[in-house]
Parts: sequence; C-alpha cells; structure tokens
Amino acid sequence: MQFLRAYARNPAALIGAALVLAVLAMGLLAPLLYPGDPLSLAGRPLQWPGANPRFPLGTDPSGRDIAAQLFHGARVSLLIGFSATAIAVVIGIGIGALAGFYGGIVDTLLMRVTEAFQTLPNFLLLLVLVAVFGSDIKTVTIAIGIVAWPPVARLTRAEFLSLRTRDFVQACRLQGLSDAHLILREVLPNALPPVIVYASVVMAIAILLESALAFLQLSDPNVSSWGNLIGLGRNVLRAEWYVSAIPGIAILLTILGVSLVGQGLNDALNPRLAGR
Amino acid sequence: MRLLGLAARRLAASLPALLLILIGLFLLLQLAPGDTVDALMAQMGGGDERIATELRVFYGLDLSVPARLGQYLLRLVQLDLGYSAIYGKPVATVILERLPATLLLMTASLSFAFAFGAVLGVVAARRVNRWPDTLISTLGLIFYATPSFWFGLMAIVVFSVHLQWLPAGGFGDVALGLTGFAAVLDIAKHLVLPTLTLALIYLAISLRIMRAAMLEVLTLDFVRTARAKGLTETRVVARHVLRNALLPMITLIGLQVGTMLGGSVVVESVFTLPGLGRLAYESVVQRDLNTLLGIAFVSALLVIAANFIVDMLYARLDPRISSGG
Amino acid sequence: MNGPTRREALLLAASAIAAPGFTAMPAFAQETPKRGGVMTVHFATEQRILNPSLQASTGVYIVGGKIQEPLVDLDSAGNPSPVLAESWESSADGKTITFRLRQGVTWHDGKPFTSADVQFTAMEMWKKILNYSTALQQFLTAVDTPDAHTAVFRYERPMPLGLLLRALPDLGYVSPKHIYEGTDIRANPANTAPIGTGPFKFVQYERGQFIIAERNPTYWRPNLPYLDRIVWRVVTDRSAAAAQMEAGQILFSPYSSLTIADSQRLGRDPRFEVTTRGNEGNARTNTLEFNFRRTELADVRVRRAIAHAINIPFFIENFLGDFAKPGTGPIPSVSTDYYPGADVPQYGFDKAAANRLLDEAGFRRGAGGLRFTLRLTPAPWGEDIALFSTYIQQSLSEVGIRIEIVRLDAAGFLRTVYREHDFDLATGWHQYRSDPAVSTTVWYRSGSPVGAPWTNQFGWQNDAADKLMDDAATEVDPVKRRALYADFVRLVQTELPVWMPIEQLFLSTFNKKLKNTGNNPRWASSSWHDTWLDS
Repeated sequence: MQFLRAYARNPAALIGAALVLAVLAMGLLAPLLYPGDPLSLAGRPLQWPGANPRFPLGTDPSGRDIAAQLFHGARVSLLIGFSATAIAVVIGIGIGALAGFYGGIVDTLLMRVTEAFQTLPNFLLLLVLVAVFGSDIKTVTIAIGIVAWPPVARLTRAEFLSLRTRDFVQACRLQGLSDAHLILREVLPNALPPVIVYASVVMAIAILLESALAFLQLSDPNVSSWGNLIGLGRNVLRAEWYVSAIPGIAILLTILGVSLVGQGLNDALNPRLAGR
Repeated sequence: MRLLGLAARRLAASLPALLLILIGLFLLLQLAPGDTVDALMAQMGGGDERIATELRVFYGLDLSVPARLGQYLLRLVQLDLGYSAIYGKPVATVILERLPATLLLMTASLSFAFAFGAVLGVVAARRVNRWPDTLISTLGLIFYATPSFWFGLMAIVVFSVHLQWLPAGGFGDVALGLTGFAAVLDIAKHLVLPTLTLALIYLAISLRIMRAAMLEVLTLDFVRTARAKGLTETRVVARHVLRNALLPMITLIGLQVGTMLGGSVVVESVFTLPGLGRLAYESVVQRDLNTLLGIAFVSALLVIAANFIVDMLYARLDPRISSGG
Repeated sequence: MNGPTRREALLLAASAIAAPGFTAMPAFAQETPKRGGVMTVHFATEQRILNPSLQASTGVYIVGGKIQEPLVDLDSAGNPSPVLAESWESSADGKTITFRLRQGVTWHDGKPFTSADVQFTAMEMWKKILNYSTALQQFLTAVDTPDAHTAVFRYERPMPLGLLLRALPDLGYVSPKHIYEGTDIRANPANTAPIGTGPFKFVQYERGQFIIAERNPTYWRPNLPYLDRIVWRVVTDRSAAAAQMEAGQILFSPYSSLTIADSQRLGRDPRFEVTTRGNEGNARTNTLEFNFRRTELADVRVRRAIAHAINIPFFIENFLGDFAKPGTGPIPSVSTDYYPGADVPQYGFDKAAANRLLDEAGFRRGAGGLRFTLRLTPAPWGEDIALFSTYIQQSLSEVGIRIEIVRLDAAGFLRTVYREHDFDLATGWHQYRSDPAVSTTVWYRSGSPVGAPWTNQFGWQNDAADKLMDDAATEVDPVKRRALYADFVRLVQTELPVWMPIEQLFLSTFNKKLKNTGNNPRWASSSWHDTWLDS
C-alpha cells in the first residue's frame, strides 16, 4: 500500500502508467474496433490521413488501413515486449543466480559466457539468429530474449553475491535446507526488486530491437507490427512520410510509458532517491 | 611499459570470450539456409550446377565443418582473417576500408552525446525541479524512447527533403572531386544527421547520469567546503563536480560501445554509410562467413579496448581505485 | 537427365536473330554533342567482380561494359554490329567461325590487342567460368590464331552464326591474356580493377562508396568518348538514390533500381525521363510457383482457383503503375517471333469461379471460412515481388486460403525453394532472354538437376510438354517452331505449373541532361562511347 502511494505521488510515473494502459487498451480494443485481418486489402494504397473518412490515418503502400494496423500492432509490440522480456529475465536470473550463489568455477564459466554475449554487439547476434532460424514472430521473440539477458544476469549475480553471505542465508544453510530451496525461496525474493525494475529497461529494448529488425525487413511479415509499417513506409518516405511517422510515434510513446513506469517503480522502491 | 603489460593481461583475460564468440558464430552460420555460393548465384542471376560446384571448391566450402573451423582458427592465430567470398579481397582489407566511417560516426556521436549531455545535465541539476530541469528531463526521456532509425528517417524528411539543408545519405560527394578542407567539410556535412541519430539515446542516458551525479556531488562535504571557502559556484562546478560526475559517464561509454556498434548497423543502413555495421548486415545476408567473423573479431577487440581505456581513465580520475584491479 | 542441354536449346533457337519486340529507335533531333563532363551512375549492388568475361550479370555490365569490350554489340536496330571483331564468317558446316579482329586497338596498359587475347578469353573464361556461356561454348574445341588479327573458332558440333552473334554482346567480352595468363583467374586483382580496350579506363573502386573510370584518350573510335569521367555511386538504399537523382548527384539509375513510388514521381518531373527505352532486350515476368508436393496444389483446380482469385489488373493499376502489364504466359509479348498472343487459356479475376473450383476439388471451407493454409516464399529482390506477395496473401484470404509469408534472404530463398523444395508457393521473376529455349523452358522441363535455380523444381512432369519443348528446340523451320511454342504455351497455361501473370521491362531513369541515351536494346550494359552531357 505504501509502495502504491509512493508510486502515485510521482506524476511522471502516473503518466507512464497511463501511456502503458492506453497501449494495452489499444491492443485489447483492436479486435472490437477493427475486426478482421488488419493486413487485408482495405482500399487504394497510399491515401493520406483524412483524405478518406474510412481511413482516419490513411492507408499504407499495400492498401492496408494504418489505423487498424496501429491498434493490432499494439498487441504485437506488447506481446513481443513481454515475452522477450520474460525470456531474458528467466535466462538472466538463472545464470546470474547460479553464478552468484555458487561462485568459484561455476561463476567463472558462466561469467565468461555472459562476457562473450556482451562483447558481441547484440544487434549483430540478433541479425545472425534471424538469418539462421527464420523471421517468424516466435523465433524473433526468442532471439530477442537470447540477446537481451546478459545485463539481467550481471545484476542478479551482484545481488546474489551480496545476499548469500547474509545472516538469514547462513541460518538456512545451518538448518540443512537444499540449495534449490535457498536459491528460490530465500535469496531470490530478496534479489528480485531491482531485477524487476530493470525488466522495464529490457522491455523497452525488446520493443526497439523488434522494430529495428522489422525496419530492415527481417521481422515477421504476417503480423501487423509497427516496425513493419515503418519499414514499408521507407520506400515512400519522400512523399508519403506519414506511413513511417505514425507508427514511430506509437513506438515512442510506448517506450516512454514503459521507461516512466520503470523509473516510477524504482523511485517507489527507493524513496530516498526519489526526486532525483 | 606497465600500460602495455596491463593491456596484454586484459587481452589474455578476454581470449576465452573471444574464442567462444568466433566458434559460436561459425557453428551458428552453418545452420543457416544456403551458403555464400547460393548468394553469389543470386547475384550472378544464374548459372549451371558445375559453376556452383567449382565455386564451392574455390571457397573451400566442400570441406567438412570441423576441418574448416580448424583452418579458420589456425589462420587466425597467424592474424590472418581469411578471404571474403563476396568482396573477392582479404577480409582485413575489406574491414579496414569500412572501419573509418564507423569509427568516425561512433566518435562523433559519443563526443556529441557526452558534451551536450554534460551541459544539459549540469543545467538541469543547477535548476533542479524548476522549468529548465523539467524541460530537459522530459526531452531526455523522449530521446531515450525514440527509435533511432525512425528519428533518422524523420530527420531525412525534414532536413534533406523539405529544407534541403543536409544530404540524405552517403559519406561524401565523390563526383565533386573535392580535396583538402573542402572534402573534410563535405564529409562533415554528410555525417551531421547520422551522428545526431546515433547519439540520441546516448545523449539521453548521459544527461540523466550527469544530472544525477551532479545532484549527488553537490551535496558532498567537499563541495560545501569549497563553497564555504568562498570559491565561486562556477569554479566549484568546474573543479570538483565535473571531475567526479565524469566517472559514471565514462563507465557508461565502456558499457555502450558494443551496443553502439549494433546501433550503427541500423543508422548506417538508414543513411547508406559505408561502415562496419552495414558490412556486418551484408555479410550475414550474403553468408560471407569470413567477413562476418572478422567483424565480430574486430568489434570484440574494440569493445575490449574501450573497456580497457575506460578502466585506465577511471584510475586517473579516481585515485581511490588502483589501476591493477 | 534426358532433356536437351542448354546449348542444344540455344543452338537450335538460332532462327531468332532479330531482337524481339524491338523496332527501330525513335529518331532524335540531331544536336551537336558536347565534350567533357562527369556522368554519375547509380550502382545499387556491390559486385565481387567487375570483369564481364567472368560474370554475366547486369551489375557487372553496368561498369565493366564501359571498360572492356565484346567482339560484337547490338546496334540501334538490334542487329549485331562490329566492335572488337570487324567481320565474321561461318564455314558451310557451321563448325568453323572466323572473326577478323580490329587492328590498332590497345589495352589500357598500352599492350596491343591481338587474336591471342580472344583465344585465351574464349578457352579459359567463356568456356570454363562465365555463367550461361559455359553451356553456350561447351562444344568449342579450339580457337586458332593464324595471325594476330584473325581468330578461328572451332566447334565439335555446328554453331549457327546467328546464335553466336546474338549471344556475344553479353557473353563475348574479351580480357587481356598478358594480365591473366598463368594466374588464378578467379583471384586475379584485375577482376576488380579491370583492364580493357573500351572508351573508359578503370581508375578506382572504393567499396561501399564509388567506382571511377576516366576517358580513354587512345580509344580506337576517333574522337570518342565525349565524357571525361564516369562515377558510379554505390547507393544501396533506393530512396536515397532517388534523392540523389533529384539533387543532380546521380544522372542515371539503371535496371529499375528506384522505388516504384519514386519512379512515378520522377516520371512526372520534367527534369527526368523514366522509361523502358534501351531495355527491350531484357523482359521479365512475375511468377507464382506451385509446389506439387503439396497435395492441394497438385490439383489443377486449386492452381486455377488461386489464379482466378487474384485480380491482376487491379494490382498493376494500384501498385505497379504504368510500368507493367498483365502477362499472358511464359513468353512475353515483346518476343514478337514467339509470342503466341493472348489466345491461350487465361485466368481472369473471378472469385466465384475460384470458390467453386476449390469446392469441387474437395477443399471446403472449415472453421472461420478457412480451407487450408499455404506458405508463400517471395524472392527477396524487387519491391514488386514484396508487394505482389502481400497482394496474393490478401487476395487468397478472400477465398479461404490463409497465406503465411516466409521471408528469406537471397541465399536462403535459392536454397529453400530450388534445392530443398521446402515451400508451398514461391514468387519471383522469370527472365526472358531473347528466345524461349534460353531461360524460359527450363522453368517447365522435367529432369532439371536438383538445386538449379529458376528451373522446374516443382515436382511437375508432363510428357507432352517435355516433348513440345524438345521438338521446338530442335526445329529449324521458324514457322513450325513458332507453332510448337504456341502449343507449349497453351499446354502450360492449361496445366499451370507456374503462373506468369505480369510482364515488365526494366526501367531506366535518366536526367535529361544526358544525351544519346537508350539508343540500343541493352543500353545500360553497352559502352556509352557516344553518350554526352549537356551542360
């Protein structure tokens, strides 16, 4: 309760929550407002926003309704954002927890792998993964999760390193509890809050990565994604720039919302730092 | 000498990661549909099976995977990055041709982000919770949330298409045959938009860090002492605050070099710059394994070097940290 | 494999010498050419090789074709015209063809051009390395050089002179023997820094940026070329290229390298000319390829239904603009000698017919109106292919067929479709090269080796069709040959193993300051010795 109140006192955090909720609402309302396939041919291609009352945001180079794609795209972006983040967080926590909890050779090995992932530019790895395994939405989401986990692992490891020597952990050890119990029940819950806050950053990165892939025409063409729309608009950028502009603003606002929420969570968890 | 020793030790410590990357990428690319000869056949617009077979032999693609991996690593030990199938040149040459554009772009972007981030951050911190702070912080948030390629496209629409102030892409106008200062100016003109585009997110991060660091440092004892001693506020800021706030900024750069290389793939593709990022993209699409591995190798070295330099600077700026660590 | 080799096909296609679909060039008001100036050219894809005696592709010709020269080229009427060969004659049995070579021609490094160069290039490059040419020249046994200016080609089997002359403009570029002899030809540095006899000398290739060639002051055509320099600007992004056209940084963009939207926009701008003129030798059709390994697609009713479900005129009007027209079969209308007319089975837009055919085939609509799902693999080149694949997806969903587009890059596309056959539908381009036997019937002939791109890898076999193709390829009488191809088109339009519903020529975009453009049917590939720039 106190946490919620702390969060609500922060206007930026509230704006963020409102933005995220708005995107969520767009995604939820999409099938009601725009039933049917958003990728179907709606009318003549490249009609300017407002030129035809049927298409308030115009049509794209393939004659599809941009407004419909925008609403359905909200689902895709959020879905990719959440799923890729979940994958990255699970991998990151797993590796970070093991490395931090056991230390020694396990730590060294796992951190070498993490280092390798961090040394290679993540977008490059993403390109390779998509070229190798294809660009359907599932593959893309998993690939993003695979390139986004290392910072989570480092964060978790740092938390585990500082927590594992604490008294309550030592006490549990003396009681003869299993390692799994110690990691999952005792240490992890305490290590989780900063990781959750960081998850908002991962989510923002995941949405950006997917849209960058789509922009390079490497994402799934069978779903209505904002990045796909920007990429399509590139061919007609000089005259019909609205095709790229509109979905870009949607991405911007979504990421703005996600990062404001993350910041708000952070401030609410660390009241001392609020207002900085 | 001591520095060289440190550098060597750092490189040695990074070797396992480096090896892991190269072997991992090598094996990963074996799973990709099609090889570089398929890409070549597409480029040639067709040809019979015999030509394809001969090309596979020419590029050593007829050997087994372990044999090729072994060969590659053996050559790498001799610092030979191999031969690019698509470009028909040694990989080292191909990369060296593309490196300047990327390095220039990255340096320009980092300097810009760093300098403007510092200024904006200081201004915001000095006017904390007043309108300049709100404005700057909001801008920072928006910059952070803007997809770089989209910003680049919109910048092209505004500055190249409508205002016609800046070129929409490329690295310089060869047809003009410029030399000397005019050529430098020409390249600079071509780099303005790409630099802004790539710098955007780092500007946001650096101004945020700078602002926070400023606020924290301003509350520290020695700053209050300095103020009490009657030094003007500007000098206090200049002398003590900046110096301490630089630490997290430099850490940030070390962390972001890798991401930045990734970001340059997109930015170079928006502005058609002949850089490493676009080369990486092309070599993935063309299955040009040697070139891709070469880029991974070079960018990993860049990241390692950047982190090493950051550590050195760190030691310089903060005497409490010994450079051995 | 028992089909005709490509060479036999080529051989017997010899009656088609006149350039298809190609009438005399419109006469221009005579202007006095001006000397000097830099011609800037859009270079859209990086090349591994710039030497056209080693690789036959438009990306090579656009540069190498100005630096190196072929034995013969095509004139403005589309007939063979002398370049490095001044005259030619064939023996009565067609096994010996003699070229008299031009005298006083020197390579850019000062060495004289002789018959030894022709001999070396023909035996080591045309016969062994050059794609499409290896099939053409497979029965070439020797090139004799009785003197420095005579090259005698000796063939094991008759080589019709007309066919050879028709092929040599593309497949007859000569390379200097003294540069290549005794080296690994594929790795020779001259491959990317070519040395030729042409009107322009290679200067520099800066990867990812530009290629420069300058006027050859000792060119054998007196007082030519007019231009001082050619600069090819590497611009892989299509929109950026259009921007550079508008800014005057590029004067010529060849081979449909701009976006459709930009081509249409520039076409309305009085400063530019967007045209198919000068590309008459290079027609292509869009394909829809069916994989017969899918039971649904093995049923001809399903294939016809799919064709009926797609509104081609609507697609062309709304997405491709004026630069395309509906195709009527594998032989495009520009091929005047073999085009059978539209009087062969066609599949006009008819959604009711499509639904009826699918019902008849037993694929009734299930839950959500869905009949079945197919994967569509579009080739990654060409904006029109991407648009067409989306349009196919949209159109087929209307008749209850769900399409999943599988996006692959070039290597992945060729491997997945033509080698692994791991696709349901594929869409790309078929290139028509002067005669149906060159690169068209291979799309239908059974028995093509697995992995050969742009051939029948669909699992379709029809003995009647195979026989028609083979007969036509060995028929010497032009009238009978034309009739055989008409029967062939009728048959494949009935069976529809591949549907070729759209016909296009490449587009050239010129800045009107450039003069003497598009004055032969392979202009973008030709030498530009008479091109000039109006200041």
